[in-house]
Amino acid sequence: MPTNTKHRRFVATAVAVTLGATTLAACGSSDDDSDAQSGPAKLTYWTWTPGMDKVVDLWNKGPGKEQQITVTVKKQASGDTLVTKILTAHKAGKGPDLVQAEYQALPTLVSNDAVADIAGEAGEAEGDFAEGVWQQTTLGTDAVYAIPQDIGPMMFYYREDLFKEYGLTVPTTWDEFAETARKLKEEAPDVDLTTFSANDSGLFAGLAQQAGAKWWTTEGQKWKVGIDDAATQKVADFWGGLVEEGAIDNQPMYTPAWNKALNTGKQIAWVSAVWAPGTLTTAAPDTAGKWKMAPLPQWSKSEDVTGSWGGSSTAVTTDSKHKEAAAKFATWLNTDQEALAALAKEGGIYPAATTAQLSEAFAEPPAYFSNQPDFYTRAAAIAKTTAPSAWGPNVNVAYTTFKDAFAAAAKDRSDFGAALTTMQDETVADLEKQGFEVAE
Amino acid sequence: MTSTRKEPSGVVGTPGGRPTPVARTSGGRPSPARARSRGRGGAPYVFLLPATVLFALFFALPIGYALWLSLHKVEVKGLGLGAGARQEVWAGLENYADALTDSELLAGALRVVGYGAIVVPVMLGLALVFALMLDSEKVRLTRFTRLAIFLPYAVPGVVAALLWGFLYLPDVSPFYFVLDELGLPQPDLLDGGPLYLALSNIAVWGGTGFNMIVIYTSLQSIPNEVYEAARLDGATPLQIALRIKIPMVAPSLVLTFFFSIIATLQVFSEPTTLKPLTNSVSTTWSPLMKVYQDAFGKGDIHAAAAGAVLIAVATLVLSFGFLRAANSRSKQEEAR
Amino acid sequence: MSTLAVRKSAPAAGTTPGTAQGPPARRRRIALVPTLTLVLGALYCLLPVAWVVIAATKSGRELFSTFTFLPGTGFADNLSDLNAYRDGVYWKWMGNSALYAGLGALLSTAVSAVSGYALAIYRFRGRETVFSILMAGVLMPPVILAIPQYLLLAKADLTDSYWSVLLPLVLSPYGVYLARIYAAAAVPGDVVEAGRMDGAGEWRIFTRIALPMMVPGLVTVFLFQFVAVWNNFLLPYIMLSDDEKFPITLGLFTLLEQGSNTPALYTLVITGALLAVLPLIALFLAVQRFWSLDLLSGAVKS
Repeated sequence: MPTNTKHRRFVATAVAVTLGATTLAACGSSDDDSDAQSGPAKLTYWTWTPGMDKVVDLWNKGPGKEQQITVTVKKQASGDTLVTKILTAHKAGKGPDLVQAEYQALPTLVSNDAVADIAGEAGEAEGDFAEGVWQQTTLGTDAVYAIPQDIGPMMFYYREDLFKEYGLTVPTTWDEFAETARKLKEEAPDVDLTTFSANDSGLFAGLAQQAGAKWWTTEGQKWKVGIDDAATQKVADFWGGLVEEGAIDNQPMYTPAWNKALNTGKQIAWVSAVWAPGTLTTAAPDTAGKWKMAPLPQWSKSEDVTGSWGGSSTAVTTDSKHKEAAAKFATWLNTDQEALAALAKEGGIYPAATTAQLSEAFAEPPAYFSNQPDFYTRAAAIAKTTAPSAWGPNVNVAYTTFKDAFAAAAKDRSDFGAALTTMQDETVADLEKQGFEVAE
Repeated sequence: MTSTRKEPSGVVGTPGGRPTPVARTSGGRPSPARARSRGRGGAPYVFLLPATVLFALFFALPIGYALWLSLHKVEVKGLGLGAGARQEVWAGLENYADALTDSELLAGALRVVGYGAIVVPVMLGLALVFALMLDSEKVRLTRFTRLAIFLPYAVPGVVAALLWGFLYLPDVSPFYFVLDELGLPQPDLLDGGPLYLALSNIAVWGGTGFNMIVIYTSLQSIPNEVYEAARLDGATPLQIALRIKIPMVAPSLVLTFFFSIIATLQVFSEPTTLKPLTNSVSTTWSPLMKVYQDAFGKGDIHAAAAGAVLIAVATLVLSFGFLRAANSRSKQEEAR
Repeated sequence: MSTLAVRKSAPAAGTTPGTAQGPPARRRRIALVPTLTLVLGALYCLLPVAWVVIAATKSGRELFSTFTFLPGTGFADNLSDLNAYRDGVYWKWMGNSALYAGLGALLSTAVSAVSGYALAIYRFRGRETVFSILMAGVLMPPVILAIPQYLLLAKADLTDSYWSVLLPLVLSPYGVYLARIYAAAAVPGDVVEAGRMDGAGEWRIFTRIALPMMVPGLVTVFLFQFVAVWNNFLLPYIMLSDDEKFPITLGLFTLLEQGSNTPALYTLVITGALLAVLPLIALFLAVQRFWSLDLLSGAVKS
């Protein structure tokens, strides 16, 4: 019985390990090395995108077959814990060949030496992407650590019918946004324009990015943390003020109560990103066709800039024995028109590749927004205005601190500025603890 | 001892199978030093071999590795980008010092004590009462109630946050609906003192049936004759329960207490369930949540390991202290 | 322990038929207070479970919009959606869970039985030390053990295999402790002694005499281990990368966390969770008859 022999081998190895004979362990993974750099390659790919197996089938039957590169999808759950899983696998030398990674996770993966520099193999892809997007995969260096897959430019979503009913106009600046919230409270005290939710750090990061914040920058061989810079302070004070005066709600998003509030018109707007239609379809099914999308409010009338919330990339791991083949696949997946069309259709992603944003797949608006035929045309225009983002090696720490500090502040309706300071201090302290040099 | 004598890998290789009659032949004569011993030389050691080997592999080694991790830290060079920028270096007790001076860990420990003060007595009290009632005479619907009370233990955790969200959040909860209809005050269950009740409710709901079954199974193994004499003496069912049944299932009660203390100190899933629903539960609400956050949120396995060791030590002191006290008491009684 | 002394002095455990039920003549009267208490307890426990049942009948449209305890109209659709999801991978997960939980609980019960018996019946040097060390396994939170266990199994090239989820769960300190208590209660010392007089070996005494007496307790251990493995999350999360090997918990989690582009498939997760409880109910109903002493006495006689 094959399982039996495997079992035996394990027992033998495990006993040997117990006895301290760790050399035995090396024989376990030797079969991977025998494949040459060229020739047939079998790659594994960790991704959470739904329907990715169908997209990969296109590769395996088309270009992959010609080049003898076969990719197997291993579907994962998305989220922060996936980074830990990747790093753990990497520590054991068992990482897959390709991983899907959110942009803000890339520096962490790079600094753990888990993802490889593929500048040589995939550098030409740069032209397919907006500069601000591409720069997230290079971390400002000459290296290329991933190929952008999808992006999440931020937008403002609102209930068109209820805005009319309450006599509200769509805010184009954040000042107008605050006025709209206050006016709504007067018109309908039980209704909130929106909520400030502390359970998704990406939203706040995107808002800060729009205001021009640069949370992580480098100065020579030092990192500089600017989480409490003037731009972010402005954002924190703005939302903290609205929560404090009770102009908006302070309860978290994505709860059953939040869904109900959106569905029943108890909350009538949502600052979100291009992927919002999917979430609204689930959360507020009864109000399909009643929502509209507009650009994010600006900090001044003359500006036209947005932040990004979400989005991910395809990276090649350092554990891969076939980096070149993996880079070829990653490039194809995120720049080939056929692949991008399939990604949009099967995975529902909004592509990072600029040419794909106005392709056939995005000619029609999402079903939920059938009342806004030019949804994707506007989206593509907004995507162009995305401010560059600046991620560092411990985004996870900043994000975690955000959740706790801002949840407490939102709950008490107290000073968001103090919460921001906590976020800055904890992030700097963590960098210093790890031995990074931090510029003041 | 006897373990190395005969094909050790064979015995290890079939932890659940039949370790063949090898075990029998290994029993020699009782050692003269222990004349009263009922043991047959190596037999108990052979019987315990599978557990010992599994323990060494899947507990001792990982614990040892965790200890090693807790004494190390990562050190970064320069910007920390690219190969070789990260190194694991000796940290001594630094991680422990950090953890012990972290006010959040201490605050978490206090929250857990408050939570445990509700959960342990309520859950075990209910479990004991239910078990005794299942075991008493002329009770109906036992099959149904036994299953019903056990069922929460079987509800998978993946739906827990949704489930409790629908029951606890005022806008969707049927309880708030009823309170509203009746014109009664509607407390915020997810803040302040009620939060502890909300958390405890989840734990009591999920754990009572489990402990009930442990105690009930013990009750079932008491032969009926034991009660006959008491019954003939005219003892009431209540007296039988208090004077005979409870003392006889004392070992099971000790066990449920022991594991409830550990579960309390390592409480994780209940606050994690409520976390996405409210601003009142932080990611570091309990010490183990902080450990999880360090390991899986911040990616600092070293700090996480140190935190886990501290939790283990606290658990050791409290749970084993309890076990020792319980054992010595029963030994005293035995001696009498 | 004194309590055990009492029990052991009784005639061989469980020679009397009938446990809690009195003679038939008195059966008509119902003990009202205990019955009512149990029914109340059952209702308290069933209320949240009822939510799962009701929510599984709701369509995605109804889930967040209709009254929480109002049944919906989407159960058939939810079932067929779940069945159709990625060509029925749900059933694959169900099968995996059954394998992990079934085999894992079986192995675990066997190890618990033999260890618990040894700890309860024999007096040998180091008994309490061995027991304490085994119990010490519960001190370290599983959360922190998962990563070292992964790295260890990676050295044996066993990660992402069925074994990687099975093996770390075979030894259950809880199971060993329970088995010890049940063995101490159910296996009288004189029965073991009598076996020795007849010239039976230690292993034979264990398998032929003690094991049948321990059945009710071991059934409990099996049940607990089965449910524990069935609902286990973190270990398979770390160990497995191939979703064809995922257990249900992990599989459903991937339906919840699909990235920002795709909202969570709540209705599928709830329906899937409900279906995942059904095998556990079946198991519970199947094993509970083994808790009766009648069966035990029958086993001893045969």
